[in-house]
Amino acid sequence: MHRIGRARCAVIGAILLAGCNRHQSALAPFGVEADQVRTLTIVLLIGAVIIAGGVALLMQHAIRTPGGRLTLPQGMRLVLWLGAIGPTILLFTLLAASLPLMRPAPVGAADLRIGVEGEQFWWRVTYRPPGQPPVVTANEIRVPVGRTVEFKLSGGDIVHSFWIPGLAGKMDMIPGRTNTLVARPEKPGRYRGVCTEFCGLSHALMAFDVVAMEPAAFDAWLAGQRRPAPAPATGPARRGAQLFAANGCTGCHAIAGTDAASMIGPDLSHIGSRTAIGAGTLPMTRAALTRFIRNAPGVKPGVRMPAYTHLSDADAQAIAAYLEGLK
Amino acid sequence: MIPPAALPAGPAAEDRTDQNDPAVRAAQEDRLRAVWQPPSGLFLRWTDVNNNRVGVWYTLTAFGFVLFAGVLALIMRTQLAVPENDLVSANSFNQLFTLHGSMMMFLFAVPMFEAVSIILLPQLLGARDLPFPRLSAFGYWSFLIGGVFVSGSIFFDAAPDGGWFMYPPLTTRTDLSGLGADIWMLGLSFIEVSSVAAAVELIVGVLKCRPPGMRLNLMPLYAWYILVVAVMILFAFPPLIAGDLLFEMERLLGWPFFDAAKGGDPLLWQHLFWIFGHPEVYIVFLPSIALFAMLIPTFAQRHLLGYPWIVLAAVGTAFLSFGLWVHHMFATGLPKISLAFFSAASEAVAIPTGVQVFAFIATLWAGKVKWSTPLLYAVGSLAIFTIGGLTGVMVAVAPFDWQAHDTYFIVAHLHYVLIGGTLLPLFGGLYYYWPLITGKRLSDRLGRTAFWILFTGANLAFFPMHFSGLDGMPRRVFTYPAELGIGGLNLASTIGAYLFASGVALICLDLARSPWRQKAPRNPWNAGTLEWLAHPEDENWGIRSVPLIESRYPIWDQPGFVEKVDQGRFFLPDAEEGRRETIITSVIDARPIAVARLGTPSVVPMITAVALGSVFILTTYHLYTVALVGAVATLACVLYWLWTGTAEIPEKREKPIGHGLTVPLYLSGPSAPGWWAMFITMLADATAFSGLVFGYYFFWTVHPEFPPAALPDPGVQWPMIALGLTAVSWALTIGAREVHARGQVAATRLMLALGIAATLASIPAGLAGPWLAGMDPAQHSYPAIVWTLAIWTVAHAGVGAICQSYTLARSLAGRMTPEYDAEIRNISVFLHFLLFTALVTYATIGLFPEASA
Amino acid sequence: MKERLTERIRSLRVSLWTLIVPPSVWAAHFLFSYLWAALNCAKVGQFARFPTLFAVGTVLALLVILAAGAIAYVQQATPGDEPPHESGTRVDRLRFIAKSTLLLAGLSFVGVIFTATPVVFLTDCR
Repeated sequence: MHRIGRARCAVIGAILLAGCNRHQSALAPFGVEADQVRTLTIVLLIGAVIIAGGVALLMQHAIRTPGGRLTLPQGMRLVLWLGAIGPTILLFTLLAASLPLMRPAPVGAADLRIGVEGEQFWWRVTYRPPGQPPVVTANEIRVPVGRTVEFKLSGGDIVHSFWIPGLAGKMDMIPGRTNTLVARPEKPGRYRGVCTEFCGLSHALMAFDVVAMEPAAFDAWLAGQRRPAPAPATGPARRGAQLFAANGCTGCHAIAGTDAASMIGPDLSHIGSRTAIGAGTLPMTRAALTRFIRNAPGVKPGVRMPAYTHLSDADAQAIAAYLEGLK
Repeated sequence: MIPPAALPAGPAAEDRTDQNDPAVRAAQEDRLRAVWQPPSGLFLRWTDVNNNRVGVWYTLTAFGFVLFAGVLALIMRTQLAVPENDLVSANSFNQLFTLHGSMMMFLFAVPMFEAVSIILLPQLLGARDLPFPRLSAFGYWSFLIGGVFVSGSIFFDAAPDGGWFMYPPLTTRTDLSGLGADIWMLGLSFIEVSSVAAAVELIVGVLKCRPPGMRLNLMPLYAWYILVVAVMILFAFPPLIAGDLLFEMERLLGWPFFDAAKGGDPLLWQHLFWIFGHPEVYIVFLPSIALFAMLIPTFAQRHLLGYPWIVLAAVGTAFLSFGLWVHHMFATGLPKISLAFFSAASEAVAIPTGVQVFAFIATLWAGKVKWSTPLLYAVGSLAIFTIGGLTGVMVAVAPFDWQAHDTYFIVAHLHYVLIGGTLLPLFGGLYYYWPLITGKRLSDRLGRTAFWILFTGANLAFFPMHFSGLDGMPRRVFTYPAELGIGGLNLASTIGAYLFASGVALICLDLARSPWRQKAPRNPWNAGTLEWLAHPEDENWGIRSVPLIESRYPIWDQPGFVEKVDQGRFFLPDAEEGRRETIITSVIDARPIAVARLGTPSVVPMITAVALGSVFILTTYHLYTVALVGAVATLACVLYWLWTGTAEIPEKREKPIGHGLTVPLYLSGPSAPGWWAMFITMLADATAFSGLVFGYYFFWTVHPEFPPAALPDPGVQWPMIALGLTAVSWALTIGAREVHARGQVAATRLMLALGIAATLASIPAGLAGPWLAGMDPAQHSYPAIVWTLAIWTVAHAGVGAICQSYTLARSLAGRMTPEYDAEIRNISVFLHFLLFTALVTYATIGLFPEASA
Repeated sequence: MKERLTERIRSLRVSLWTLIVPPSVWAAHFLFSYLWAALNCAKVGQFARFPTLFAVGTVLALLVILAAGAIAYVQQATPGDEPPHESGTRVDRLRFIAKSTLLLAGLSFVGVIFTATPVVFLTDCR
């Protein structure tokens, strides 16, 4: 299967100079559900090509044939068999074959549940491992391979949609409703998910990183996330921590182990361990953090976080240093 | 009613001695010409109502909008040509795609079909004009005003930016969306009203204005499709109008229909929108298939194979298309079993589409194909459409759709469908029908060159999108990261889009050169259907004499047909009384039953459109007082229009139309076009109402406890009193109709007056329930929906009282008599629907809380 | 007996309303299916192990469509002129409407089967 995917990539790529990504594509699955759908996609595509080609050839033949070759009864048989009965059988087969795929995989009480809430334009993520207290993070989702995961999806402010193309199909996040998406990741690696329901100005900049990990590594990581944020270790970082509080950042952001506990914006307790900031918008570097802190709306139009242009570059860098250290 | 035996059969009856005299014919032609003389003058020419003018304005305006929306698309494609581009801002981009989609759907696809039909339908049916020419003009002016209002907003950076689907709460929260949302809702609601008006016109046109002898089985297939599509509009647009109403109530008054925090649900909008939105796809696709059904027999030079199969396909598609709407909501988390029903229907709908395609193939196969530019467009667009149809079957499979939904795969799919199923067929129709409209042919060379550019451009633009979508590119993004590796695919799409645009430009060039070309011969394609009676030197009378139809392709099959029509040897060859007239026939067998006097050029439709437009536009800017003035002006215009222009008592009871046939000049009741128009309008109205009722019960299903016990109820007493009063009003009106028919005019007037009193009394009674219970509509979705149902119903009671008063006034003014009683028969239809509305509303708000408690 | 029945059926009036009987039955059945599932899932939380109500509704819909199709079949075989049956005669008009009704009955029958199929495969409200 993977070979077919790569062959397709090569062909299309050669024609259209396109690269094909391996981390945000429905055609490069790392989970059971996406893999099933990819097989389905290939079958459907082949069927579609055959039918489209057949119809085109038939049409060409029909136009070229001189008049009077096809009698009225023959023509009516053509319409009956190729136009009506043939498609009916094909479509019914397709329906019957696709219906079992709609059944979600069973979920047990011992399975990991991950709550994800869409906000303009970021993701609030809550891990609910069975028998343990929940862990809150943001903008990055880690999943253990070989285990069934149940996502509980809701819309915090408006309608968003949760899509990890390599893992499973998408599911909308609707205010007032909680939707369920069951998936089973299989291949470890770094992937990406995006918001697919138009949600305003920065809809295009609402993504997140997905990390599929070996179960043991995942458990260790989750335990790490449960710990309070590390204390600032360097001089600039300590200054950054003070500036963070002094400039009102705590009004929106939570950092476990400090006074900052507000849930309005993303939880920053371990932001330094993530690979991107601004929900997949910028890479996790000090320069990018500085830029985002000083002018978030300039990076992400419509974002709730105000611009802090009054902060000096040095102050912003200090806060960035503090955040970067929150591993 | 004329028995079938009274129909003249065979050529013998068609010879009228006086028609042999050229002087007689010339005199008839002079009279017809004078009657159908279009108004002239700088302003007055725009007061014309003749379908050949209004239809052309309509078409040109819709064409202007498609070009405009196409330019918006080019800007978007330029922005997306390379990753992380910053040509336009996110804000502008959101306006661009919202307006592109909304304009293509509401200002191009649907109006274009109606525009083309307004031009073609009378010609296809051998009618002089449609039954309500002034309604066509009103529809056109509404469309123009609403269209300019909506599309112009982008020049003020105020265009709607919530996507053409306008999902709340993004669009209802006034902190997240601005004026654009109101412009979308109110501007497009206005256009929806005009679309429904055109649908009424077209349905009555097909059912009642066919030429004698054109039984249902002889109708041109285009007319079948028009009938089907117009009926679909009737049932598809009203739920959206209901949705618009709820939407604006939330935006302007804070009634929380879609606010989950106050008992609303964003999904209610999605249901109402897609109940409209999916049939809409077939509403814009079937008319193009209808064009194929006209031009393929012409170029195959034979009858279309499988006429009943095509009718099956049209009617079947229309029904099935109302069972597909949830496939736009496959990712909303509804129970899988519900999704599966819609998945099944979405696949079943491919069956009738397959039937149509194969009926065309069989026709081409059986016939001797005459290759031509229009046929090239038809075949090419069928090829593109087939691809779109097949990807449609793919996305009907829910698990696949969960991946493809809201990605560029869908963008590819829908553009294949709409380019192959709407745009290219329309260009084909343009090349086919241009000689009919202008008397001149377009250039074959330019047309074919343009076709190949369009064909290549469309495939280059949209085929790669299948893959950029599956490679993780969501829709409606103003930018995408370079790391996705879809830059090449997007660049190809952009190049394809420009190629496509240059093809369109070439067609525009071809059109622009038309005025300098020679006139073509009459019926240049040697077609067999009625519309090709049109003469290159066009007359405004539509058709010289209304023919007797004995075949589906009368020009081919009926000997001497064209000459007989031209020499006025068929029906109604004259305009003795100096009136615009057309023949009204029966629905199934097209027996002539009356001659209808048609509306003449008038400024009233235009002024009414302006007045109604002002209501919508002023409300957008929250200028409620002035908007109220506009509403009163609209009502005044409508009443003036009805009073002066409808149900006129003729100077004589009946007139001869030739061949020894004499038919009445006045109809009332179910055989009259006016009655049908009222009935059809009320069907649309009832559909909108059912959208609101759906809202009530939808809330019941989503809440564990609905109505919420903590909130007050309207109680049983007042709703039942209101219902009783409505029933009394209904009984009085129906009684009045019956005693009136027996000639008891005084009793009629008394009963109408009492009816008015009862209707008016039902208004405060209807509102008393929620009012006295102190229900606060801004508090929760329950009181909000109860108030909405009550207000809807009492507003209808208000219109009912106006209807009754109008009828009473007509009677008092001597404009309605027991013999000429169209008004009271028409308002009876309204009263039936009013009673139905009251019954459902008051049972719902008054009895349901008791029943569910 | 059979001839009299045939006669009787052929003398039934046909119209645009009889034409749309089969697809209307499909529409009614579709609405019924949707409401049945939606109400069960929203109000009961699951649907019955053996969906008796649904089965009865489906069989009923299929029977009505079959009846409409059978009547249309007899009507469209009314003797008259030669094919292709496209003249402006009464009998050809009858045959046309009957033929279209028959075809619609076929489509509606298939449509009801399509609509009912999911219940075989999906048995819960997830």
